[in-house]
Parts: sequence; structure tokens; C-alpha cells
Amino acid sequence: MNKRQNNNPILELENVYKSYNGVKALTDVHFDLHPGEVHALVGENGAGKSTLVKIIMGVIQTDAGSINLDGEPVKISNPQVAQDLGIAAIYQEPMVFPDLNVAENIFISHAQRGSIVKWSKMFRDAEEILGKLDVKLNVRMPARGLTVAAQQAVEIAKAISLNVRILIMDEPTSSLSAHEVEQLFKLIRALRNQGVAILFIGHRLEEVLEISDRVSVFRDGCWISTKPRDEITIDGVIRDMVGREFSEFFSKTKTERGDLLLSVRNLYKENTFHDINFDVYRGEVLVFAGLIGSHRTDVGLALFGVEPADSGEIMLEGNSYRIKSPEQALKLGIAYATEDRRHLGLTMPMSICSNISLPLLRDYLNKLGLIKRIEEEKTAEVFRKRLDIRASSVNISVENLSGGNQQKVMISKWLNTDPKLLILDEPTRGIDVGTKAEVHKMINDLTGRGIAVILISSDLPEVLAMSDRILVMREGKQMGIFEQKKAEQELIMAAAMGQNNIKQGVAL
Amino acid sequence: MLNNKKNFLGKLKRIGGWEVFLLVILAIIVFLNTLRAPNYLTINNQVNLFKLSIEKIIIALTMTFLIINGEIDLSAPSIMGLAACFSAFLYENGMNMGIAVVLSLLVGLACGIFNGFWIAYVSLNSLVVTLAMLIGFRGLARLFLEDRSIGYFPDWFNFIGQKNLIGPFPFSLILFFILLIIAIIVLQFSGFGRRVYVIGNNKEAARYSGVNVKRIKFHLYMASGFISALAGLLLAARYGAVRGDTATGYELDIITMALLGGVSIFGGSGTLWGVFLSIMIILNIRNGMSLASFSGHYQTGVIGVILIFSVLGPNIANQFIAWSKRRKRMIEEQKTCESDGKEVIIETK
Amino acid sequence: MKRIYGRFSPEQIRVLFLMLLIVLVVVIFSIQIDDYLTANFFNRISTSVAIIAVLAIAQTLVFLTRNFDLSLGSIVGVTAYIIGQQLTRIPNMHPVVTVIFAIGLGMLMGTINGVLIAYGRVPSIIITISTLAIYRSFLVEYSHAIPITTNNLPRWVVELNKISLLTIGGLELRVLFLIMIVIVVIFQLVLSYLRFGRRLYAIGSNPVAAKVAGFPDRNIVFMAFLLSGALGGLAGFMYLVRFGNIMVLAGQGLEFASIAAVVVGGVSNMGGSGTAIGALLGSVMIDLLENSLYRTMAVSEFWRGAILGMLILLAVAIDHVFIGRLRKIWARAGFLMTQSEEDPEKAEVSSHVE
Repeated sequence: MNKRQNNNPILELENVYKSYNGVKALTDVHFDLHPGEVHALVGENGAGKSTLVKIIMGVIQTDAGSINLDGEPVKISNPQVAQDLGIAAIYQEPMVFPDLNVAENIFISHAQRGSIVKWSKMFRDAEEILGKLDVKLNVRMPARGLTVAAQQAVEIAKAISLNVRILIMDEPTSSLSAHEVEQLFKLIRALRNQGVAILFIGHRLEEVLEISDRVSVFRDGCWISTKPRDEITIDGVIRDMVGREFSEFFSKTKTERGDLLLSVRNLYKENTFHDINFDVYRGEVLVFAGLIGSHRTDVGLALFGVEPADSGEIMLEGNSYRIKSPEQALKLGIAYATEDRRHLGLTMPMSICSNISLPLLRDYLNKLGLIKRIEEEKTAEVFRKRLDIRASSVNISVENLSGGNQQKVMISKWLNTDPKLLILDEPTRGIDVGTKAEVHKMINDLTGRGIAVILISSDLPEVLAMSDRILVMREGKQMGIFEQKKAEQELIMAAAMGQNNIKQGVAL
Repeated sequence: MLNNKKNFLGKLKRIGGWEVFLLVILAIIVFLNTLRAPNYLTINNQVNLFKLSIEKIIIALTMTFLIINGEIDLSAPSIMGLAACFSAFLYENGMNMGIAVVLSLLVGLACGIFNGFWIAYVSLNSLVVTLAMLIGFRGLARLFLEDRSIGYFPDWFNFIGQKNLIGPFPFSLILFFILLIIAIIVLQFSGFGRRVYVIGNNKEAARYSGVNVKRIKFHLYMASGFISALAGLLLAARYGAVRGDTATGYELDIITMALLGGVSIFGGSGTLWGVFLSIMIILNIRNGMSLASFSGHYQTGVIGVILIFSVLGPNIANQFIAWSKRRKRMIEEQKTCESDGKEVIIETK
Repeated sequence: MKRIYGRFSPEQIRVLFLMLLIVLVVVIFSIQIDDYLTANFFNRISTSVAIIAVLAIAQTLVFLTRNFDLSLGSIVGVTAYIIGQQLTRIPNMHPVVTVIFAIGLGMLMGTINGVLIAYGRVPSIIITISTLAIYRSFLVEYSHAIPITTNNLPRWVVELNKISLLTIGGLELRVLFLIMIVIVVIFQLVLSYLRFGRRLYAIGSNPVAAKVAGFPDRNIVFMAFLLSGALGGLAGFMYLVRFGNIMVLAGQGLEFASIAAVVVGGVSNMGGSGTAIGALLGSVMIDLLENSLYRTMAVSEFWRGAILGMLILLAVAIDHVFIGRLRKIWARAGFLMTQSEEDPEKAEVSSHVE
């Protein structure tokens, strides 16, 4: 019945190291999974959780360290190997075939069922598996129409049908209602009781504590602690997640807060965010804090016109606007530096100066519409000096730059537009410490000159160090705005996770 | 002296390996052709070379812009035919040829606007839309001309297509070179051209940088429609007559000229230098085959093979490079594991 | 109404709608034209629809995987000619052998397409535009412009067009028509019941998920083109039977008709949706319009291309704009309905639909 008493780990990772582009993602990490347990992994964004998952799923390889399955060393060189070993993962965004029906989606990977599809048997088997999980779905419907919760149930059913032994669930509850979460947990418990080892990654601490048998905390790529559920308190977990020195980071120099620049009221976008209200003043840094899935980026995209909001008021310097396109936003003096630097922030094969001039290309054209290359280069040189971009010339392709320098080029691009409001989305993620400090210095510089900055960040020390005020969001909802003086890491994290004790420091 | 040499080689590298490769191929073909026909490299012969396909290569220019932008216009030859047929139809019904020409150009523009609307603003797939309009516009052309062939255009019209304007060069050839120069300037040196590349490279990133993607695509299709109409009229002038199926089947040559020229079908890269070289290559190949008495159909087949190889070649080369990289890594890992003795390697499929 | 949500999907509704449309078209035409609804008309159309329908099935297989096959017209031409030529030389070649030969030829050409597209990773539009030209130019060279004429063909080939295996009232079910029925039925079954067919849908529906699930996606795409070629070969044989006189440009443009047929029939080039039945209905619609407009009403046949092009565009635009929205509404409503019908407690499923 309950196979939890097996003390031999089914999966064991030891001394694992992994770096990307010089940034350490995992350092000397230990992690193990026992059959018949739910082992939760918590940590801030960037703690290394997704890197660990990718290693277990065979998507990436460790730089050093060992992986043992059932006590034997293994090399998970690609996802197919992982699947053959009985490892499956369910992500936030389930991977279903929208045009195939539910039953087909469940049995899609099965080779043994033969070349001929026996529909009635497939429907029956699907209903049986779903029945075991106590889920009611019309197995004949195409998967396209299913809610995320239902799609997840399908994925779990699929895993069961493949006799999965290790199931990774990466933020499965972020799109679910409370009721759906309960259903999901029933499924998870059913799986656990059948001896499956479950790695559960989640941000809602109450949920984590409810479902897990053990909880491990990662921070900054290092393993911090692993404790059985009865020895854990929420405060203790939060402390493990955030506890660190933040003296090495730049602090925001105090500047006089200027006039009101931007006012946002009742901003709403279907299924994305709602009831967003805040003001931004010249010369201040308003930080958007929160966890993955909080939809902070979407608010930024709405302000920049890339994905306009459905309704709400945006007032800039007293005038009300509906921002429908990035062109319009730029004209209004709003700039947005994306978090996805490689795919959305820069045009890869092009040179540094071409990238920098792009939003304002119009200003670099002569009367005939031809590009004034010299002007472009001049501008690029100015930024190269100002932000200390390490490159042999401004004409080389940005592809060959390091992450930090690419970030600087992207930021230069937006600084060049002389914005009144600069929205920076995770500007220091995946960047080395030195460049981080430079970015912070630049933010100080900007606010000193009266520019307003909205900084979207998941890095708590950065949030506290660089902010004048902090707006915390959780799953599209605004949890509150903190004054910097009254804020502490644990308070912010608690708010970001939806804890109820956020009475202190809430200001609008 | 040494410095100059270094600079030259450096410049050569920057132009791009593919263009150099094309140059070499071109040299070989011209050489082979010259062996066959001693007067091959005379101005007259070279001009003739161009004359036969002048309308196609004009459209290859706009097609290059579109493909670099990540789109395609399969309906261009049909717009050519439509403009030619429409003008002939008007002329046959008594209209002044000059006015007919202007109206036909406007029709081409309208076709471009039609395409651009569905593709840029409704966001339909450009392949399906231009495929549909390949049929649709051609159908309209046939509508005007039915089975007939219309000719006997006024002298000035024929003159443009047939007689030489300056020395041995006909009007259309001069027009081509003017357009080529304008195209090069626009694509490589202007803001519009830069945006075309950026959009083709990464549409979303372009949008995030404030580029008005829809408007640029729309303009490109408008231009394509207009230029196609112009080319169609030139074709009518050169032949002296128009039929319902004028300019059928040109899309193969045009796409080959672009793709062989190093323009990636996926968008974002390619230059007009390369396209010009590939135009020369295709023209010289066709000419060489004519000299060797291969029929038009045979030539078309050869062009088809060239198209396949110009995309297949780089693909296979890339796959080979990726494969050999993987193999190297596996061999290295195998070595470390063998020395380790304990680790088990699970082979990838 | 509630029952409908659970029973039919938007795609099925679309097929029903198309059927209604066809009936409507027939009604309109029968009002305009005297003696429209005669058995004779049916008999004449049945053979022309047959060829388009077979090609539409071929195109469906390819469309499902998000590809195009523009070389079908040339495949038909080449096969029709070579078969015709062989029959001229070997008049007592057995009919079954002939058909197999035709299919084999088509399969060969389809294989070339498949290898280049599936393994060479070259976009299908490029390959099939090229093979369209290459196969055609091969035919021109090979034939030396000598056409096949009915005089030189064995009797049975010419007769086959008129032979009907079954006659109901005045309606003759001719051989070609029956071949079409057989093919449609076979492939409807393949697409619904064979794992291979289901995988075609899967690959087009979500290529990434297909890779992750470990599908041999290259092999499947290759098979799609192989089968497409084979069907093209069969259509070539049917073409020979129908027309007898095969000239060098035979079959030119058929690929466009097949694309029009599948698009109208609801097969999406974005992959994942469409059925053999839909392809059949699309072919019927296209051919019906063609025959009714041009043959009977003597609308200038030169309207043909324009109308075809417009139909494709219209079908694609409507699909894009309406069906997408319809799907969402349907899914939300249908799913909610199912849930609340079966378990009232579960009715609070969030309306969080894609």
C-alpha cells in the first residue's frame, strides 16, 4: 500500500556543478528522491531549481558531479534517455496536442498499443485511468478546449500510463484555482502511494507544506537545507530562501522625489492582471517584486504598448492615453528593456551600433532616408564609454559579446531614446556581479537626472537596495506597495507568496 | 604594399564566403561557355543574355526584399501577366496605350495592396495567400484575354521593349541596372532596408524595438505589385504581343535567383550582391544550355535542380558540422569515462 | 443545444456546414438551369471529381504535417504519359499491372520529394516548386513532344471511362468514381484508425510536443510525401483513362485545384485538422462549381482561375478569423457543459481557456 518506507533513494545527485556563460547556476549541490515521497524544492527565482530540473530531464549536462539511479551511475544525455529511465516532467505550460482528443493525448507515446487504434478500448482505458485519479473529463473532446488544470490531469494520466517512476512537477499550481489545486493534490497523493517519487517545485508555501514529505531549499545555486515536513515552519523556510548579506550591492542614493510622472488606475487585462494602481514620480525607482507567474512583465508590456491592456487608465504628465503600440510609447517617452535579452531584446547578427540605434532609426537617417553610419557609430561610442561595454569595436556583432555586455548594449539602446520612464525587466538576471553593480550605478545616475525607473526584479537584495518603493504582485494581482524604509526581505517575500501578514507597510 | 593586400583579403572575407563561392562558379561557367562560343564575352552577346530574362530579374529584386523580410510573393508572375493582359485589353478596346499603361501599373499596385492587406494586417500566411493569388490574378488575366493574343502595339511601346536605347543597351536593361542600384542603396544603406532585415531576422524582437512591422510588410507587397506590373508591361513590349498565359512559370527562376544568391528562405540574411551574382550565373547557365541546344523545358528542369541544391547544400553542411561536433564531444566523454571505469554511458538514439 | 456540444467538434460542424453549402449550390443552380439535376450531369461530374478528390487526399496527408505538395500536377502528367506510352507499346498489359505501375511511378517521384523534405530539411515549398519543374521538364524531354492518343491505346482503357460497375436508376457509378470512393474510405480509415494517421495529426498539431514524445517525425513526413506521390500516380492513371489524349502539359495546374479542394474542405495548413471526408467535400464543391458555371451556364471558363484563387483566400480567411474564435467559445461552453452535466460540484472549472 504505502511504499513510503523505502529508504533507498531512487535518484541521487551529488556534487553537481553547472555554469552558464561564467555565471554559476549550481554549486556543489546535493539532492535525492525516495520512491513514494513528495519532495518539494523551494527557492527564489535564480536559485537553481530549473537548472536542476533540466539536468534530471537530460536537457542539459552537468559540468561536474554524479547522478545515480537506483544506486547505479547514469548519464542522462538527452530527454529520450530520461523518458526511458522512467522520468517525466509536467511544467507550468502542459504540452498537449490541441487537435487530438484527450484519450489520444494520454496514450500518445505508446508503442505497444499496435498500429491500429482501437478507439473504444482507448476511451475505456483513458476513462479508467482518469477514474483512478478521480478526474472527470470527456475523453472524446480535443485537448484544445481543456483548462490548464485539465491538461495537467491529462499529463499526469499520461505519466501514469507510462509507468513513470520519477515525476517532476514544475510550478503546477500557478494557473489553478483553489479547488483545482485540491484535485491536483489528490492526484499527487495517489501517485505517491503507488510508489512514484515526486519532485514538486512550487511557490505557494502553504501548498508546499500541505503536499510534501520533505522540503529542500536552494539559494543562489547552493543547497541550503533539507528537512522533513514536521520540522518545518514557514518563517524558517523563508529565512533559508532569502538569508544573505547584501552589503556587496550598490545602494540607491537618495534623491529628491520629483513630480508625478505616471499614474496607472484600474489596469486590467483578461487572464493576466487586474486592479493595478500605482503612481511613479520622476527620479524614483519603483520596483515590481514578485515571483514567477506574477505577471509583472505583462504590466510592463502594457505600459510599452507591446501587449496593450484591455482597460484602465494610463496618465502621463496629466494626460490620459491608450497605449497601443511601442511606437506610440516611445513617442510618449516610455522605454522597456525586455528580460529575454537574447530573443527579444537584441537582433543577434547585427552590430552593436545597429542595435543601439534601432528604436530611433528615424533620427539617424539623412534626407534621402539613408543611414548616417558615422552618427550611429558616434552614439555607440558614447555608450560604450558610458557603460563600459567590453568589445573590440562597435561594429562587431552582438552575438559574440558576453551576457553582461549584451545587456549593456540593450540598455544603451533604450537610454538612447531619452526616456522619461524606463522600465527594466530583470536587468541583472544571469549577469556577473561586476556588471550588476554597473547597472545599479547607471540606475542611480538616471534617477539623479530626473528619470523615473520601474525595475522589475526577483532578486530580493536588489529589490531592497535599489528601490524607493516596492510594488508586490502575485499572480496578476497587486498585493501592496511598500516604502523602502519599512520593507524587509521576509516581508516582501511573504507578500509575494500571498501570506496574510502584509498589513505593515502597505501604501498606495 | 603589404598593407593593401591585407586590407583586400579582409574586405573579401567581410563580403562573405558565399558571394566569393558564387563568383568562382560564375567564372567557371563563363569560361566553359567561352570555350564553346568564342564571341561569348562580347557586349552584344552579354546584352542578349540579359534581354531574354530581363523582366524576371527585375522581379527578383523585389522578391529578394520580401524573402529577406521572411515573406514571399508567389503571385508576382501572375501580376505581371495581369498587367500585361489588362493593358492589351484596354488597348484593344480603343484606349490610348499610354493611359492603358498607367492604369495597368495601378492595377499592379492594387494587387500588391490586396496581398499586403491579407498578409500584413490580417496576418494570414503569406505562402497560402500568394499561392491563392498566383491562381487568382492569373485567372483575372485570362479573363481579359481569353484565348486571344493581342499585339500590334504602338511603335513607341514596342520601341521600349525591343530597340536599343543607348548603344547596345535596351531601355529595360538600363532600367534594371537603375533599379538594381536603387535596390542596393535601399536594402544595404537605408533605414527601410535595415528594418527589412531586422523583421526578417526576428519579427517579435523588431516589434519590441518599436519597428512598425505591419506597415513595412504592407509597403513591400505594394512595391512588389507595382514592380511586377512594370515588368509585365516590359514583357509585353518585348514580345510585341500578349497572351493569357504570359509570364506563367516564372516563379521558379525568380526564387532560385534569390535563394542561390545566399538569401535564406527563413529570412534575415542575404545581400543583393549575392543575388546579382546568382542572376548572372543563372543567365549564363541558361545561355550556355541554349548554345548546347538544350530545350527551354530542359533548362527549367536544371534550374529546379539548382534551387534544390542551393538550399540543400548549406543544410547538409550545417547538419554535418553539428554531427561532427556531437561526435567529437561523445568521443571525448567516452575517453574520460573509460579512464573512470565506473560510469555507464547510455547511448543516444 | 447542450447535446451538440458534447457530440460534435467545430471541425465536424464545419464539415456539416460545407455539406449544406453544397446542397445550397445545387439548389441555386437547378433553379437557374433547366435539366440540371439529371442523372447525366451526375455521371459526367463523377469522373472529374474523382481525379481531383484523389489528389485532394494526397494533399491532405501533406497538409496535415504543415507541408505543401506542389508537384502533384507534374506527377499526374508524367504518370499518365508514361503509362499511356507503355500501353501503346504493350497493348496486352494487364490492367492491374498497369495500375500498380502507375502507383509505383508516382511513389518514386514522391520518394524524391520526401527524402529532400524530411531528411534534407528543405522547406516543402521549395522542393515541390522545383520538382514541379523537374518532373515536367523530364516529361517534355522524354516524350519528344509526341502526344499519346486514344487511337493507340488499348480498348479497355478508353472504355473504362464509361464503364459503370453499378447502375441505380439513371445514375451510373463509374469505375473512376468507385476508385475515388475506395480511396476516400481507405484514407478516412487510415487517418482515424491507424497510428500512422494519428501521428500525422500529432506532428502538425504540435511539432515540438511530437519531438519531445519521441516521434520519428522525419520518417512520418517522408511517408506522407511517399503516399502523396503514390496517389498522384493513381490519379495519373485515372487521368489517362478519362482523357485518353495525353499531351506534354497534361495535369498542369492540378496541384492548385487540389489545394483549393483541401482548403475549402477544412484541412488546415497549420496542421492538425482536416479529414478525408472534408477533402472529398471540398473537391465536390470545387468541381461542382467548375462544371456548373462553365459547362452548363457557359460562364466564361476563363473565370476559373480567378474564382479558384478567391475561394482559397476566402476559405483561409474565414477559417483564420471565425473558426479560431468559434473554437474558443465552443471549447469553453462545451467543456463547462460536460463538466456540469456529469458532476455539478465540478462546475466551477475556471474559464481559463487558451
